[in-house]
Amino acid sequence: MTTLFHYLIFPGLLFALVVGMIASWIERKVTARVQWRVGPPMLQPLYDVMKLFIKENIVPEHAHYLTFAAAPLISFVSAGLAATIIGMSIFFPSSGFQGDLIVVAYLLVIPALSLILGAAASANPLASLGASREMKMVLSYELIFWIALIVAWIKTGGLLNLSLFAVNGAVGASVSGAIAFALMLITMQAKLGRVPFDAAEAETEISGGTYIEYSGPLLGFFKMSQYIMLVAVPALVSIIFLGGASIGKYVILLVLIILAENTNPRLKITQCLRLFWFFLLPVGLIAIILATLGY
Amino acid sequence: MEDKKREMLSEAKSAAGGKDKIKKLLGEKIVNWQEKNPKRHYIEIKKEHLRDSAAVLFTELGLRFNIATALDNIKNMEVLYHFSDDTTGVIFSLRVATDRDGGEIPTISDIITGAKWIEREIHELFGITFTGNDNLQRLLLDPAWPEGVYPLRKDYEYGRKEELSEEDEESLRRPNIKIDDEDGDKQCTIIPIGPYHPLQEEPEFFELKVRGEKVVSLNINLGYNHRSIEKISEGKHWDQVTFLVERICGICSCSHPFAYVLAVEDLAGIEIPERAKYIRCVIAELERIHSHLLWLGLAGHFLGYNTVWMWAWKYRETVLDLCEQISGNRNHYAMMKAGGVRRDILNSEIDDMKANLKTIVSKIDMFKGAVLDDPVIHARTKNVGILTKEDAIRYCVTGPTARASGIRQDIRKIDIANSAYGLVDWDMIVLENGDVFDKAVCRVLEMYESVKIINQCFDRLKELNEGNICTEIWDLPAGEGIGRYEAPRGECWHYVKSDGGNTPIRHKIRAPSYMNILSNEVAAVGGIVSDAAITLAAVDPCYCCTERMQAVENGKIKYDWESLIKMSQEKTMKLKAEQK
Repeated sequence: MTTLFHYLIFPGLLFALVVGMIASWIERKVTARVQWRVGPPMLQPLYDVMKLFIKENIVPEHAHYLTFAAAPLISFVSAGLAATIIGMSIFFPSSGFQGDLIVVAYLLVIPALSLILGAAASANPLASLGASREMKMVLSYELIFWIALIVAWIKTGGLLNLSLFAVNGAVGASVSGAIAFALMLITMQAKLGRVPFDAAEAETEISGGTYIEYSGPLLGFFKMSQYIMLVAVPALVSIIFLGGASIGKYVILLVLIILAENTNPRLKITQCLRLFWFFLLPVGLIAIILATLGY
Repeated sequence: MEDKKREMLSEAKSAAGGKDKIKKLLGEKIVNWQEKNPKRHYIEIKKEHLRDSAAVLFTELGLRFNIATALDNIKNMEVLYHFSDDTTGVIFSLRVATDRDGGEIPTISDIITGAKWIEREIHELFGITFTGNDNLQRLLLDPAWPEGVYPLRKDYEYGRKEELSEEDEESLRRPNIKIDDEDGDKQCTIIPIGPYHPLQEEPEFFELKVRGEKVVSLNINLGYNHRSIEKISEGKHWDQVTFLVERICGICSCSHPFAYVLAVEDLAGIEIPERAKYIRCVIAELERIHSHLLWLGLAGHFLGYNTVWMWAWKYRETVLDLCEQISGNRNHYAMMKAGGVRRDILNSEIDDMKANLKTIVSKIDMFKGAVLDDPVIHARTKNVGILTKEDAIRYCVTGPTARASGIRQDIRKIDIANSAYGLVDWDMIVLENGDVFDKAVCRVLEMYESVKIINQCFDRLKELNEGNICTEIWDLPAGEGIGRYEAPRGECWHYVKSDGGNTPIRHKIRAPSYMNILSNEVAAVGGIVSDAAITLAAVDPCYCCTERMQAVENGKIKYDWESLIKMSQEKTMKLKAEQK
């Protein structure tokens, strides 16, 4: 019963969703102010989702119905689960278990994977282009994501329990930790699909790409998993590299995301791949070497 | 023998376009040479000699092909091929006649790639067949339009409508996918950009055939946006047409009337007062700044850089305010009038306007620094969508698209009758690489030149007395006139023919995008889809300009203005009733 409460209400789905909506509102409001616009009211993300849930679900004629419909749900459920585990480690430190970091890292890939599945099932050429781009994005940033985690693992002496990171102090304070943190910031931007890494969505090229055929409640579930991801990923980064999560640290990370989003054009998918594999990978390897040497 | 020929060629090129050279090279082929004025020559030739003559003008002398104009003379059909000498501003028009029914003219589209579209257009609107051109499918008219009905012929009544069958109606506006998989290449997909797509503000259809992400070929479909301006023009009197052409496009709303009044003044052979010349340039250059800022913002948006988009449009407001101060309107200025301008600029307001203009310069500085030095923007635009100089010449592109590819071509330097461009000091911006980045740089630098021109015009205006802004034109003689103006996107071309009456009997319009969009055939192929998207946008395409011509809105007007208003009122009432 308590497990269910933790998953559904606090600190799981509902809590993460509410925080994610507020974060999303801040993102949109700040973006708007930067661009000389007024921006939406605070409840706009809620209105967006509510509107989607009273709308019709349109499934394309040639789509694979089951995969198409299941993808958003899988995405939402797994993002919620990741948020629950991360949230538990923050609010109920004693509840953590050895290896929850690995579980979270796996759970956070699932929204991207289900997006690929859903887009590929939708039988739309633009969506398939988006799916192929998303796939390349996952291949690029996951590598760096894991390298950054390995650095943290080495620095903390083999720590895999999220709630213990806070006790251990900030990994980002060391040289290798700082490099890994910087890599993680870039990865975070990519994992959240924000500019400059939004090639899979690329409204002005492939008009929404992966999301193009989604409408109504199904799109709503994708939207909600995006909101949750906007909480879960920065919180995880904060726990691992900044020595625990707090509102202040979260807001700093959010501001960094918004800043990068508003001062960059979109990178081409080939450029993303090149950036992660040929530029950031050597940097990451150097960080690992430094970490083993104790820097 | 070879040497002599080469010598002759280089000699001919050095005096490029000199009429004596053309007379010498065409020799016996000339049936009649009419010199309207030193800048406008009409050369009548037999249609058998068209291909040779076009090759002489285009290939040997290096003249640029502007456009072809077809005329229905009732006794026969006539086609004018206009060639422009971009060093002297002289236009040579080859005049070719053919039969009215079943008329045939040899194609020149294999010699001049830029003539591909106009041959298709003349074929569907006048019924002239271009022998040797195997792609004469419809360009502007709807697929459902009946065969053998040619809307721009004189026997097609003004305002006539075509009946379409139910079946045809279903196929209306359906994307017309031309690329197919007949070559068995299963790995290719068609990525549609259009007819309705976030990349474009207007309906237009680009089919990208892609393998993976790589674009292997491109097919461009026009015809979603026709408003029959050329036909309407034949039903309006000379002064009304100025307002009509202003409505071709909201962005070039000064360029079209400018080119049109120049055409009428060329026909009448008059000169306008000096003050009017300056006022024309002020409003036209303000239009250029706002158009380039608009493009800069859109380019940012297409690259996913929405901050640039919003900022560019925010600073564009200052320019629009200036336009409003001068003309009373932000976009449709209604400043041009055959013989001068309609409204004066108050000398007392000039200092204020100059101060406002100064604030724009600091904003352009900011864009130049922040946008053009951004490494990610470099990565996205440099060496992307390259239009080589050779291709630019082949496709006869104009404006920034041509100048970014290293072609020295600006109508404001060469054809400056009745405008102040010869009276002020400014530079033509020419770049070398022809990629998207150079096109952007070209536009940004041109804004500085525009500010320079406006400031000088303001200074001269202050020295001149207010009031003398128009030469009245009472009668227009029979004859022909060509006017052209360097619109923000390139050369805007108007041709008018008069029989001495109060309406033009033929009005040919060619917007710059008409030539520029076709060049995407080469520029957008070879890159990945992301490159293609920004390349398509880099010519600053203006579709409402490109497609200003069709006889009737698909033969049927489903909803007109009044019925739309009525419908929305009814819906409001219904909703209100439901709420109660």
